[in-house]
Amino acid sequence: MIATLRQIGPLFAEAFGVLLGNRTRTILTITGLIIGVAAVISIQILGKGMSGAVTGVLGTLSDQSFIVFPNARQADFTKASIKYSDLQKTLVLFPNIVDAIPAGSVDRLVTSGHHHARFTISSDSDIRFAALPLIYGRALSRADVATSAHVCVLKNDAYQRLFPEGGDPVGTSLRVGERRYVVIGVEGRPVQGLIPVNFGGDLSIPYTTYVHEYLRERPLFFARFLVRDPSKIAETEVQVINYLKSVKQDRAEYQTFDRKSFSSSIDGIFAALTFVVTLIGAVSLVVAGIGIMNIMLVSVTERTREIGVRKAIGATSAQVLAQFFIEALLLSSIGCGIGLLIGLLVGGLVDRFALIAISGVVPVIPWFQSVAIAVGFATIVTLVFGTYPAYRAARLDPIEALRYE
Amino acid sequence: MSANSSAIVITKVTKIYKMGALEVAALRGVSFAIERGEYVAIMGPSGSGKSTLMNLIGCLDRPTSGEYVLDGTSVGSLDDNALAAIRLRKLGFVFQGFNLLARTNAIKNVALPLFYAGISQRERERRAERMLSEVGLGDRGNHKPNELSGGQQQRVAIARALVNDPAVLLADEPTGNLDSTTSAEIMELFRQLNAVGRTIIMVTHDPETARNAKRVIRLRDGLIVSDEVTEPLRA
Repeated sequence: MIATLRQIGPLFAEAFGVLLGNRTRTILTITGLIIGVAAVISIQILGKGMSGAVTGVLGTLSDQSFIVFPNARQADFTKASIKYSDLQKTLVLFPNIVDAIPAGSVDRLVTSGHHHARFTISSDSDIRFAALPLIYGRALSRADVATSAHVCVLKNDAYQRLFPEGGDPVGTSLRVGERRYVVIGVEGRPVQGLIPVNFGGDLSIPYTTYVHEYLRERPLFFARFLVRDPSKIAETEVQVINYLKSVKQDRAEYQTFDRKSFSSSIDGIFAALTFVVTLIGAVSLVVAGIGIMNIMLVSVTERTREIGVRKAIGATSAQVLAQFFIEALLLSSIGCGIGLLIGLLVGGLVDRFALIAISGVVPVIPWFQSVAIAVGFATIVTLVFGTYPAYRAARLDPIEALRYE
Repeated sequence: MSANSSAIVITKVTKIYKMGALEVAALRGVSFAIERGEYVAIMGPSGSGKSTLMNLIGCLDRPTSGEYVLDGTSVGSLDDNALAAIRLRKLGFVFQGFNLLARTNAIKNVALPLFYAGISQRERERRAERMLSEVGLGDRGNHKPNELSGGQQQRVAIARALVNDPAVLLADEPTGNLDSTTSAEIMELFRQLNAVGRTIIMVTHDPETARNAKRVIRLRDGLIVSDEVTEPLRA
């Protein structure tokens, strides 16, 4: 056993010498493996990066909120309108609910000095669903909600239209339809993720103000709930849906939307993507493996005489097997190693220059998974496609082999 | 004990090859003994069975019947791994075509059997260098086979055959690929090796080469037709 272990090092050195001696052949043989491994690893990194970018965008959504709205499949959508009083009752009925916010919007002509345009006015709370950073002023406060203040936070697009000269608009009074609202803050440019996520209208006002001013003219279909304990959000969603249905004597259907359910459906898409990539990887693995097996068989045939000499000198079949097995192992290890490096490089570069530029989210490179893929490829190719040629070499009859020209 | 003192004892050995329905008897009952320190040539025309006998003596093949005792060990019924071990420890091969590994230098070629014996690298190289000096190539250790002449390559092959200190040196047409001057040099090397006690068995079809040995066994049609001690040539 000690003798065998002692032989491993020299066997590797010798196999390396053989591969180096046949440089062109070696490179051509492992090209398939390099491309296969590089493709799978880079696509895998990209997948992680894209999924990270999407969840990164979703990260601006509060996990304390969920939205309830009528299920689109029901026959008469309008029967499912939600009453504000029912919303308020949920606060009493379900202890996990901190706030129930009517999420409605109306369109109004908004004027600031000489500039005017039609904008969407939407109700919001001090805890926002999509928490974009502000470039001017502040967000809605608890006090704004409590006092039904006539204040608004502008989306960046609306700010550009109303204040094309730029500058800090905080404190400016806007004419919104019949009313006047004071600008208290301006949101920054939204992160343009792979999926554009845009919540709320152009002007956000306290929902209490919205209820006073606009609820009477439009039925309410959307409501946003704030919960105390985000881990129980799923239960609370079911409770609210059941309550709203019971109010309508089960003649309306509702569904909910929250950050977790959204990101898990996105994760599902990426899982499917990963599966397809894995399948492609498996195909390239087989193709590359057959290439390696082919060249190993050629190598065994070419070196038939050498094998005969080694056996005549006293090499056992196991020692000959080890020699060719190690050659196959080295071949596939080098291929997978180079493939790993190229895959990491390509995946990392695309992450760096495309994904970060698009989404602003820095994706985490899955080092462990990438290395595991490369090692797995090398192991499988060696075991499946390196064993047979090595076995052929080991089985050669020394007399026949010595006679081989 | 008498069997143990002989290098080789072959008793009523036959070898029959089956070629489909046809059975070809390459050896039809051969018996002889070779003592330690002998220098024997095995001769015969092609088809006489000398290659078959060579393969049997070299433990590359097993006899169909009969017994073969090599250096005290009966090898007729050993399995492949045991035969490999016997070849490793008790036999040294010299081939007509040298059969050196082209990519490796002389020292590593000579050290190859020691590698399979599991000897450490330092010890392998020490012994290989000493063996190369013994065959007169002490200064060529780092040369690859294609940087050596035919005679030098055969010397490397002889060093490789002897590096494990085998009981028998088995040479198959060792001068077949060499010109007459180089052949004479190799034969002189064999004579010197035999003079210090090496047992040498040489298979050849060339009477000139065979005259270097001290004893000649002639085969024809799978049988020994003569076995005589000769007066070897003096170089």
